[in-house]
Amino acid sequence: MQLTYRFDQECVQIREAADGADIEFEIKILQNGILLKGIKEVQKKFEENSVYTDVLFYAYEDHKYKVIVRKDYYVEFILALMERQILRSVEWV
Amino acid sequence: MEQQAIWAIGIFLVIYALIISEKVHRTIVAMIGGLLMVALGIVDQETALHHIDFNTLGLLIGMMIIVSITADTGLFKFIAVWAAKKSKGNPVRILIALALITAIGSAFLDNVTTVLLMVPVTFSITRQLRVPPIPFLITQIIASNVGGTATLIGDPPNIMIGSAVKELTFMAFINNLAPIAALVMVIYIPIFVLLFRKQIQTTPELTKSIMDLDEKELITNHKLLRKCLTVLGLTILGFFLHQSLHLESATVALAGAFVLLLLTGEHMMEEAFTKVEWTTIFFFVGLFVLVSGLIETGVIAKLAAQAIELTNGDVVATSLLILWLSAIASAFLDNIPFVATMIPMIQEMGNMGVSDLEPLWWSLALGACLGGNGSLIGASANLIVAGMSGKEGHPIKFVQFLKYGFPLMLLSIVLSSFYVYFRYLM
Repeated sequence: MQLTYRFDQECVQIREAADGADIEFEIKILQNGILLKGIKEVQKKFEENSVYTDVLFYAYEDHKYKVIVRKDYYVEFILALMERQILRSVEWV
Repeated sequence: MEQQAIWAIGIFLVIYALIISEKVHRTIVAMIGGLLMVALGIVDQETALHHIDFNTLGLLIGMMIIVSITADTGLFKFIAVWAAKKSKGNPVRILIALALITAIGSAFLDNVTTVLLMVPVTFSITRQLRVPPIPFLITQIIASNVGGTATLIGDPPNIMIGSAVKELTFMAFINNLAPIAALVMVIYIPIFVLLFRKQIQTTPELTKSIMDLDEKELITNHKLLRKCLTVLGLTILGFFLHQSLHLESATVALAGAFVLLLLTGEHMMEEAFTKVEWTTIFFFVGLFVLVSGLIETGVIAKLAAQAIELTNGDVVATSLLILWLSAIASAFLDNIPFVATMIPMIQEMGNMGVSDLEPLWWSLALGACLGGNGSLIGASANLIVAGMSGKEGHPIKFVQFLKYGFPLMLLSIVLSSFYVYFRYLM
């Protein structure tokens, strides 16, 4: 089973690519407000837990983020994006 | 020797062995040792309480609260990323910058707290550059012990010495220990570069990805940051002035902590208190009571007399003996119980006629703090970094650290021997 997701392309751009043992995401938030707040909350959630290398956030200008996600934390990361409404839907296929 | 003294030595040795073996958490072992001293009547409860150094505990708790709240603002991550960008994303320069930040942070916050803040950001930066984190972590461990040597609040042994000897103020520590700590750091930096530069190569694209980072995004709460910086600044100023203000260092640290909690509101208090390392605090409590058993039964006085006999009361020989003994012992034993035992012994030497104790105190501080670099188990900061690194899949092996740490420790102790001799004993 694989996890797939959908997002509103008017509000956010998400690209992911495998990178060795990790998955690398490029996320650009196109609108201020709830999604920007949401991505910061996701960052806070993973920075405050006891694992330091599960999900690493790198912030760039214009609300662009690079996120390096360890494979074993992929599902947790996707669900955290969903929880903060950055994703519209998540499905096992 | 009295029966009570034999019991005290027996308990002390068993507890010390258990602490070294790490079979049971050191806090539990130390507390049981302290409680045994009271339960067996070697010291009564009133005397035991009298031996607990609340200045050491207050200073540690106060600084832990201030730093935990400040860390929430993202300040320390901001500083690390800012330094990485100033280093042009070059891994060797970043290694030096992070080591220097660790050393300075350790001097003014305390080295255990500093490494706790530096390790996560080091993982983040090294992952971005695709370089191994271990060279960065090893240099930070070493830098934390050197930086911590420089001030009264930098390393637990110094906190304990400063607290036990009222004449040794915050400024006295800086005047006497900061020059040698700075010299050691200056000599270590090119050695770090020579040792690690080949292991930390990266590509121009990854260097650019560091340069493009927006470090301002890392500050999560500007209002809180302003409050934290104000209180942290005033607290450090308070340390510089504590003698003139007739305040103990613990009063300064606790005042800073509770003023900050007053400014931030009650909601921060619960979280800040959960971040105080209570296990460390109780480890100290247990040790103070454990050592009180040796003091009250006269064991420490006997040991001091024997040390004086060994060196014929010569201050040069005694200082160098303390320096090297502390360094070697601290490299392989926990330096906190070692210093807890040495403090009353040096005080006893004063009672026995050694007139100038100052070189002995600085020798103890230098040996215990710099000696911590001798092995992976030499200091609390080393164990914390090794634990964090191992948990993330990058174990630092004992022998791997020893290969770098032990020769560097010996170098620092040779430098310290010259420093102590030429500054205090000539």
